[in-house]
Amino acid sequence: MELSLQNLSVAISGNEILKSISLTVREGEFVSLLGASGCGKSTLLKAIAGIIPQSGGSVIIGGKSADMLPTHRRGTVIVFQDFRLFPHMSAAENIGFPLKMRGAARSEYAKTALELLEKVQLKGFENRMPHEMSGGQIQRVALARALAASPNVLLLDEPFSSLDVNLRQDMRSLVLRLQREFEITTVLVTHDRHEALTMSDRIALMADGSILQYDTPEKIFQSPASRQVAEYLGDASYLEGFVKDGIFKSGIVEFPSDKPNGLYQAMLRPSMVRIAPEGDKSFRIAELSYQGESYSALLEHLETGAKIRTLIQSPCPYRLGDKVALSIDTDKAILFPANK
Amino acid sequence: MARLYGKVSKALGNNHIMRKLEPYVLLLPFMLLGLLFFLGIGNALLQSLGYIPALGLSELTLSYYREILQKPALLDSVKVSLAIALVSSVLATVLGVLLCAAMVHTGIAGGWRLQAIKLPILVPHMVVALFAVTFMSQNGLLARTLYQLGLLGSQGDFPQLLYDKNNAGIIIAYLWKEIPFVAYFVLALMSSVSSTLGEAAENLGASRLRTFFHITLPLSMPAVKKAFLIIFAFAFGAYELPFLLGATLPKALPVQAYVEYVNPDLRHRPYAMAMNSIMLLLTLAISAVYYWLLRKDFKGTGGGQYEK
Amino acid sequence: MKNKRSLFHKIIVYTAILSIAAPIMVLLLWSFASRWAWPKLLPEGFSLRAFDELFGPHSPVMPVLLSSMGISLGVAVLSAAIGTITARAIALYDFWGKELVSFGSILPIIVPGTAFAMGIHVVFIRLGLADTVLGVMLVHIIYALPYTVNIMLDVTRLVGDTHEVQSRVLGVSPSRTFIHVSLPQLMPGIMSSISMAYIISFSQYFLTLMIGGGSVKTFAVMMVPFIQSGDRTISSAYSLLFLASTAAVFIMIEALIKRFAFWRDKTE
Repeated sequence: MELSLQNLSVAISGNEILKSISLTVREGEFVSLLGASGCGKSTLLKAIAGIIPQSGGSVIIGGKSADMLPTHRRGTVIVFQDFRLFPHMSAAENIGFPLKMRGAARSEYAKTALELLEKVQLKGFENRMPHEMSGGQIQRVALARALAASPNVLLLDEPFSSLDVNLRQDMRSLVLRLQREFEITTVLVTHDRHEALTMSDRIALMADGSILQYDTPEKIFQSPASRQVAEYLGDASYLEGFVKDGIFKSGIVEFPSDKPNGLYQAMLRPSMVRIAPEGDKSFRIAELSYQGESYSALLEHLETGAKIRTLIQSPCPYRLGDKVALSIDTDKAILFPANK
Repeated sequence: MARLYGKVSKALGNNHIMRKLEPYVLLLPFMLLGLLFFLGIGNALLQSLGYIPALGLSELTLSYYREILQKPALLDSVKVSLAIALVSSVLATVLGVLLCAAMVHTGIAGGWRLQAIKLPILVPHMVVALFAVTFMSQNGLLARTLYQLGLLGSQGDFPQLLYDKNNAGIIIAYLWKEIPFVAYFVLALMSSVSSTLGEAAENLGASRLRTFFHITLPLSMPAVKKAFLIIFAFAFGAYELPFLLGATLPKALPVQAYVEYVNPDLRHRPYAMAMNSIMLLLTLAISAVYYWLLRKDFKGTGGGQYEK
Repeated sequence: MKNKRSLFHKIIVYTAILSIAAPIMVLLLWSFASRWAWPKLLPEGFSLRAFDELFGPHSPVMPVLLSSMGISLGVAVLSAAIGTITARAIALYDFWGKELVSFGSILPIIVPGTAFAMGIHVVFIRLGLADTVLGVMLVHIIYALPYTVNIMLDVTRLVGDTHEVQSRVLGVSPSRTFIHVSLPQLMPGIMSSISMAYIISFSQYFLTLMIGGGSVKTFAVMMVPFIQSGDRTISSAYSLLFLASTAAVFIMIEALIKRFAFWRDKTE
């Protein structure tokens, strides 16, 4: 079902946590709420589910207002970070629980539980108790249980953070696969930009209780609405300069721009910068750190002192202190008004 | 019941009002019983001040209190109750803490041994009174043992521990129940302190004894204080043991109060209530101290509307 | 050095255990003793006199014992239930007067029993509750509540409400959530509360005497005159019966709860 938030506000003990949020998630869409701790994303999730009362605005599910509905009637199922499997029930009983509570016959919900267990690759785990399972297994049962509840909207509250890093990728793929198969409208809360970028149809970047930008991953990454957004999505380097008569000039690059005259900073992603085999060796390698597949290098312009980041594929032929020339792809450069 | 509540809240429609009302609904039985409780206490206080309309007494007066505190016999009752309560509680606390420490240090905090130490909880005071008689009377097992060992000449040589002004029998009887109580009450806290901070202290070089007195014991004090206050208040106001094992005179306060209460001459009623009220006010003062000393413990960590 | 300290501690613990067990053993001996005069350390003869008297055809003991057990079980279950919901309010909600309620819940332990009993007697007379089983049960519950509320407070805080929230978002109504998710996890505490409240009620003497008058006879009230009488055989037999029946109830409660714990509803 479609989820629509209209001017949703939440205040707790006088503090405004969510400030008039408006957002629409289309049916079957996968949206991430991305932001740093404290930006209000978990609060938003809880307000959608009705766990936290809203102080203003509306939550609309499937075209109908959910404001007056108690939590258990909204169909907004949350998978929590601590998974919360019922300790006194086995895996199959946990999964079958929502169905059993709706009055399904034992044979029916037992069968569904087995099917879902298979879907999450836990065949044979029916009678395992939560304390007998590993973190990854617990999460898959929690996911299966959420699916068993036939959610109108699936809400995931940082479900991968407590897992081992290696496990996360597998779990993300699993979640995506199931989401597409069941066509469930899904909202994922995360602070991990890689997660948001790889999984979402759209990303809502949040800070301080508001949404800064709501767009597809590509658009947010390539056309960030502000410095704050840009920096959250990835590494960024800035070149100081100014625009005059349609041209942006800095001590290092120049390119045409339709921005009004004034002082600006050009934002460059590491991917836009490459070490050139020929050219004016006007940069010095100031930092070089190994990251496995590549090296992260910080290059300092000898004249202006401007610092630019880039990646060098392993093996790296350069050393700290080497002087190099840079080739900068200015087509994708974004201009932001200069900071005061 | 829960389903009815669900229907009512559905009917009322408003999610948030129901949520605000929930705690009060949950507290209803408690409040009603609390009301009864305070009615009882209030009534006792009123009657102690001489207000008994059924007898035609409708003037508030402190005269009954004055009389009690002046008549030596009645004043003695107060002293007896205080003495019994104080001696038994202090001893029980000290020895109970000792037992608890022994349990913690030998790791006997579970299994049948713990159950054995919890046994006295099952034994009512009247049976403990029987134990007292069986062991400590002049014809009791203790006397007989001493006689067999040649340490005692005759029955009469054995000291009067029961039915005597020294109230030794009553105190020992309280100890039998209260030492295990204190030990059990403090056990959870002391063993957790000992296994974490105590271990750390020993790791840093402190001897076992020093660790106990400087770390383990001080940090267990909240539980110890609570236990002391509970057993003191109880020993002060309890009826059974002084009734069954006490001297003819002076009677402990609860017993004396009952004597006045059942007196067919209803004009004795205010005296009974005044005695009760003296006990009441003393223990209320103790509760106030209890509350003030442990106010941190009472600030609930309560959830606040299901947010986490 | 460590061994000496350990030995010392062990002596303390086992001395305590011995002091607890010894009187109970002696109780056993006295119950079956026909004659045990000064200065003997063991009974001179054994007989079943006491048990004939207690269990004989004209003895009022069994009916009173059973009805007392019933009363105390009723008190226990009610006290546990009220304790559970009261603790739930204190632990999981924020409301005006919360501290007062917390404090008020321990008052019955602190306030002297005689003061309360004599005070409420008149009130109960006017309410028509004096000399009734209901009246006796009510005062017993008031006395047991501080314990049950305290126990349930600890347990409720431990269990928390995170699983309840999860259950509700899965579409389960609050009432069913409580029954199927919260209650199973609270069971150990409830079991503890029932046991505690039972023993408090079953052991009551003065309160029952006062409020029940002559009409409500419990086993404890019936027992006291025998203890005063000086007939040690009979008194010991009564006491033994008291302890045995209490132990039996405890074991029964544990077994029952274990069977119904986790609410598997396998009967579907």
